[in-house]
Amino acid sequence: KHLVLLRDGRTLIGYLRSIDQFANLVLHQTVERIHVGKKYGDIPRGIFVVRGENVVLLGEIDLEKESDTPLQQVSIEEILEEQRVEQQAKQESEKLKVQALKERGLSVPRADTLDEY
Amino acid sequence: MAEEDEELDLYNEMTFGLDRDSTEEDTTKPLMPLEMSPELAEAAAEETEAGEELEPGAAEPEELGEPQEEGGMEPEVEQFGSELEEEEEELGTEEQEEDQEPCEEPNDLGDPAVMRAVQSKPTLESQDSAVLDSRIGACWAEFGKEDMLPMDPAGWGSCPASIPSPHGLEDKAILQVLERPPPSTNVALDFLGSPMQRGYGGSPRLKRPNLRLMSPKSFPQRFLRQVTGYASPTPFRPMSPNISSPPQPLAMHFGPMSPSLDPTLFFSPSASGQLNLSVPSHMTQLHPQHQRILTQRQQQGRQAQSMSPKKLWSPKADPYAGLMTSKEKDWVVKVEMIQLQSENMDDDYYYQMYYHRLERKQAEEELLGGRNKQEPPKLVTPFIQKVETYDSVVRIAGSLGQVAVSTCYSPRRAIDAVHHALVEEAAGSHRLRALHRIEKLFLQLLEVEETQRKMSLAPEGKQPCCEEQKSQEVERIYQVLKIRACRSEEEAEDEFLQLLCVRKGKKLTARLLPHLTREQAEKILLTITHHLPFLMKKDMLDESLSLLYSPLNEVVGGMTFSKLIEVLQKMTRPLPESPELPLAMALKNQFGISLLYSLLSHGERLLSSDVPLEPRSGDFEMWTDTVFLVARELSQVPKTSLVEPLFLPSNLLSLFCRYLDKQTVHHLEAKMECSPLPSEAAMPC
Repeated sequence: KHLVLLRDGRTLIGYLRSIDQFANLVLHQTVERIHVGKKYGDIPRGIFVVRGENVVLLGEIDLEKESDTPLQQVSIEEILEEQRVEQQAKQESEKLKVQALKERGLSVPRADTLDEY
Repeated sequence: MAEEDEELDLYNEMTFGLDRDSTEEDTTKPLMPLEMSPELAEAAAEETEAGEELEPGAAEPEELGEPQEEGGMEPEVEQFGSELEEEEEELGTEEQEEDQEPCEEPNDLGDPAVMRAVQSKPTLESQDSAVLDSRIGACWAEFGKEDMLPMDPAGWGSCPASIPSPHGLEDKAILQVLERPPPSTNVALDFLGSPMQRGYGGSPRLKRPNLRLMSPKSFPQRFLRQVTGYASPTPFRPMSPNISSPPQPLAMHFGPMSPSLDPTLFFSPSASGQLNLSVPSHMTQLHPQHQRILTQRQQQGRQAQSMSPKKLWSPKADPYAGLMTSKEKDWVVKVEMIQLQSENMDDDYYYQMYYHRLERKQAEEELLGGRNKQEPPKLVTPFIQKVETYDSVVRIAGSLGQVAVSTCYSPRRAIDAVHHALVEEAAGSHRLRALHRIEKLFLQLLEVEETQRKMSLAPEGKQPCCEEQKSQEVERIYQVLKIRACRSEEEAEDEFLQLLCVRKGKKLTARLLPHLTREQAEKILLTITHHLPFLMKKDMLDESLSLLYSPLNEVVGGMTFSKLIEVLQKMTRPLPESPELPLAMALKNQFGISLLYSLLSHGERLLSSDVPLEPRSGDFEMWTDTVFLVARELSQVPKTSLVEPLFLPSNLLSLFCRYLDKQTVHHLEAKMECSPLPSEAAMPC
């Protein structure tokens, strides 16, 4: 069972079935795990085929240790809600920051546009 | 404990198959014909099966023994009939036997739990071979719980009244297949066929008889992976003589097989008891430390496993485990190893950094621990020869460009900017040809720099001959550049100048200059200065002349006085087309003014130093004239058009002081925005 972190920040957990030289992955019984604070929620996704260039890292999950985690699992609805709230808060703070910088004459390029140089 | 032992035995049995003798002891007579000639049995089964399929309705209940719940049974059996040929073969043979055996009650059909488990699954799932596998897996799991040794296949057989019976039959079939000779043959078979074909066990629809032979064997292998989770150090038995000829040549292809390798490696343990995919086969050569870690992990796992054999029979035996065959895994590892291979390890930042750090750490340890210095182990990548040469660029007729062909040796090969074909003389504009040449020369230059870098790292002895080679290469490049004097009218045609018009050409020249001899470098400087107006004009869009400043500065710094004068003369000669002096034009161009200042500064340096100048006649006059000219132009040019140089030498003012009056100097100082001289009062002028 493996945990895959993708470039867009998603965390996938599933059974790694196949790879190739580009690090393309085939994940089985995949679950997308969303983390917000101390809570997390799993969304079952089925089979994933991930293109290698989008993989940031991949690690094996120790099944024995998998269950003892300080994190609390919640339902999908709840975690999505939490995520939305978190995103909103982040956006607002970001907006304030950009505003403040603009007032001082600085313009910081947005991080998300940087990624795709 | 006895139970655990028995479970172990059971595991071994299933992993490695029973011995021929024990097989015969344990199984009932009817099974013998199966073992003897699988081909014949299958062929026979095929026929019987074919015959049976025609009359699913009536025949089957009979064969299965008890005509109960026919309706329920039929669809299942039919499904079996249509989908899983390999199982059918066994089924077929099974069905023959069943006629002989008495029916048993469901409860005696082995494990009642199995029946229940199987029963609960909906029939549609049998469509999906993967699901079927999971069912089988579940069955096996159940076996583990209830100690099922020795398994009497005969006990499986039969029965049938209930729906699960066909499943039971099929399980029996699997069991029998398992009891056949060991998977060592499977390993041989690994190298058959495409990885794809091999990988997805399930229900390959193999029509050809010889392949049929393989598929049942592939099944146990997959099966083993599904069920077993840990390595057993038992070496595999050699191939059973009973197996008919086809596998033998396969084994030969495979080559020498060390019993301690392959299959045991396949089943290295992981904490969960699932298949550990991280151990590649003997083909791959790992870093010694890596290898050590892996074997340690194996051993630990084995130890852990031997403590708790129950772990083997985790209820969630993973039917999808081992989708990738070892061959496929090896292939990926091979590709990655090939990618790692490079002749040039000096360039590899990560490689160098890693070993530097390792050495540093070891040096520290050595200091602290006082151990003997250990050589850091070097990663030895297997020498997989990249024998396949291929066209990096495939030109499709009528296409607009090149298609990059990627193979496993270079999965994502970039398209080279240079054509490998000989189409250089093709009708193209000057610019295209210039670009071509630039690319070619750049490649050569890069090679030169490469050799130089290697040289610097190489031991002392090799250096002279490498230098020789290097200078030859550099000479060659220089010749190709075709630097020669040309008149103003020909400027557009001159090849070197064309090169210089392109940014990359400038870059090339800039990079080449340090490698050239003094005369060659000075010649280039002369040419550039001679054609400065032209170059400046061409550079207006690009503004890349500054690239040349730095290396040319170096060249200037080493020139003799006479040579300097010669260069300056180029700048002061009048131009035919324009009233302006090149000098004046230079003042308006960043590169030009920087170059000018650089030249003047050097002259001043030479003059103020004690080194004998050995000037030619007329040099000093030329020099003074030039200085005056510069001063004049500087004062005349409006400040707005005066461009700031890349570097403003500090000795220019003192230069002017030598020849000009104070007022003028002040004026120039303001113009040039120089920092004033430290002791103005002490100025000699």
